[in-house]
Amino acid sequence: MALSPVSRVRRQLPVSPWLFAAPGLLVVGAFVLYPFVSTVVNSFTDRRTLIPGRFVGLANFRELLHDEMFWIALRNSVLYVLGVVPALVVLPLLLALLVQKNIPGIAFFRSAFYTPVVASIVVVGLIWVWLLDERGLVNSLLETVGVGRVGFLSDQWLLLLSAMAVTVWKGLGYYMIIYLAALASVPRELHEAAAVDGAGAVRRFLTVTVPAVRSTMVLVAALASVAAFKVFSEVYLLAGPTGGPAGEDTTLVMLVQRTGTGLTGRVGYASALSLVVFVVTVALMLLVLRADRREDA
Amino acid sequence: MPMSRRALAVAVVSALVLPLSACGSSDDGGGSTDASGAIEGDITFQTWNLRANFKSYFDGLIADFEKEHPGTHVKWIDQPAEGYPDKLSADAAGGTLPDVVNVSPDLLAPLAKAGLALDLDKAAAKYRSEYLDGAWTGQRIPGMTGTYAFPWYLNTGPLFYNKDLFRKAGLDPDSPPKTYDELFTDALQLAKKSDGEVATLANVPTIEDFGRYGVELMNKQGTGFAFNEARGVELLTRYKELYDAKALDPQALTATPESSGKKFLTGAVAMNPGSALDLENFKKQAPGLYKNIGITDQITSTGHVNMYVMGVMVNSRTKHTPAAVAFAHYVTDAQNQMSFAKKVAIFPSTAGSLDDPYFTKEDGTDETRVRIAAAKSLKNAVNYTPVLFSDQMKTALRNEVAKALQGRQSPRAALDNAVKACDRLLTQQG
Repeated sequence: MALSPVSRVRRQLPVSPWLFAAPGLLVVGAFVLYPFVSTVVNSFTDRRTLIPGRFVGLANFRELLHDEMFWIALRNSVLYVLGVVPALVVLPLLLALLVQKNIPGIAFFRSAFYTPVVASIVVVGLIWVWLLDERGLVNSLLETVGVGRVGFLSDQWLLLLSAMAVTVWKGLGYYMIIYLAALASVPRELHEAAAVDGAGAVRRFLTVTVPAVRSTMVLVAALASVAAFKVFSEVYLLAGPTGGPAGEDTTLVMLVQRTGTGLTGRVGYASALSLVVFVVTVALMLLVLRADRREDA
Repeated sequence: MPMSRRALAVAVVSALVLPLSACGSSDDGGGSTDASGAIEGDITFQTWNLRANFKSYFDGLIADFEKEHPGTHVKWIDQPAEGYPDKLSADAAGGTLPDVVNVSPDLLAPLAKAGLALDLDKAAAKYRSEYLDGAWTGQRIPGMTGTYAFPWYLNTGPLFYNKDLFRKAGLDPDSPPKTYDELFTDALQLAKKSDGEVATLANVPTIEDFGRYGVELMNKQGTGFAFNEARGVELLTRYKELYDAKALDPQALTATPESSGKKFLTGAVAMNPGSALDLENFKKQAPGLYKNIGITDQITSTGHVNMYVMGVMVNSRTKHTPAAVAFAHYVTDAQNQMSFAKKVAIFPSTAGSLDDPYFTKEDGTDETRVRIAAAKSLKNAVNYTPVLFSDQMKTALRNEVAKALQGRQSPRAALDNAVKACDRLLTQQG
């Protein structure tokens, strides 16, 4: 039976929009979808860098449950989120409040706080290694004041804390800019009204500023959580390729890199680890968004 | 023009999948073990961090080869030292491995196992007699028959020490330690006299240290690791004593060769391995140290120092096997190895080259002294790193050693765990 003109139109699609979308689709397909699907497929194989894998079912996932290094890496990545995210939600907001005022010379401070964001992470890492080394500047100062040398780069926990400090230091400026944009949209009348009602600076901050930028805080928390869970460079640069003493500061992404790269890399196992990182990252995002929705309700 | 939904879906999926089907297609169908044909065609040659200092040498080498073999063209690629194994693995997996590649035996092993290295016992057996026997057999892979790379340069480093620090600790600066026993005694004295301020070493023991201490690294069949034997435990126990006495730098657990080199430059560490190239560095960066620099042989309790071996492999999938084999041989032949050795502190692996006066005749300079001593020690040196010892195994050993040094487990348990982990990785390598 011949289709009516309307049905024919419904059953056919114009080509031109898809032609416009094709380059984007190709890029997304080649560099996002294909690697992702490939990672999922590989996670069920024993593939190595140069040796095609055989299907091994859930063997990689079972192995990682018994892999001591996996649990150490998971612990460190979770600790990283817990240590870094609150600092990156609160400190840039305070910084933004400090530099939002239009007073002469404030542009210099805004730029200064933003400088670590644009600095190369490798350079930043090297500078902090020099600062925190056993004979570095910080230890020289501590020795001068009688505290003695502290093993920032040789103690497992201090090393992790040092890496967190670097992440916070480097991220402050970035999130400060986001908060500055949010603060600019807070109506001045609200502050003025609160001031007329006798609210002091702290009360105005808690009752006017924080509620006004709450959605931005959630955004910052989500972005910082994902970035913190996937941390690599800071820990790698400070802790070295072994991931700190006995590998105790290894994070999940470092473990993926160490396991899956090189000529003898275990691509299948590293893919299983990557899937865990993916699932936890998505879970973190959902958790933050859910918390935000609950606040709204 | 409108098109059906199904046709559109097919077009989109094809557009996505077709380009991807090219990815990872490593087998281009080229390649032959027959190197007897005409030497012609375009080939690529990859070196390992050599362009910065030796560009003119390689430009000349390639030009001479192309002149000698009209119809050939060699494209030279140089990769940085950092991440070289990763670059090789990406090329090997992507089917873009160059025709002729600079490799060390531990990098050669996985490439040969994956069938990517040409068996030179079949394709180039006629050249075998040109090389030192040990160097040729050093390019073999346990569990496989055949030789998979031309031996290139050999290297061994001296050990530098700070005479001033030795003097301050009441040690004879002209009599540095030669064996591990002497090293441990001197290191403890240095730490004691400096009240823990000066460590003698800045690195935890590696597989080469175990080898030089006389530990059996693998079982006789080469099917499993054995460095958890009594002598291995003894070495680690003694390193633990050094660590506790601060004779081993506290940051040794996370040190890299670069970071320990810096500690030696600043006088925080009394001894550090290096090469003749480092002397120039000391002159520029630490003239005070250079005045007090002592040069001695590697510490060894076996009488055999460690030797680093480089090779040049031919990609088994090259489309121009005769040209690739001819070029790999040309790069590593006696004449070209000798001229390369005169530009940098390396040692030829070709038969008889080490008897050249360049490696035997003193001229009074430190550089010559280091070169002659190294060439002499190379004659009975050993490549202690097992070729199947992968990066993952190095990390496993290092982590277990670190736990033992921190006192979190006994040296025996640490080495048992390391051997177990390395054996598991060996099995997984296939």
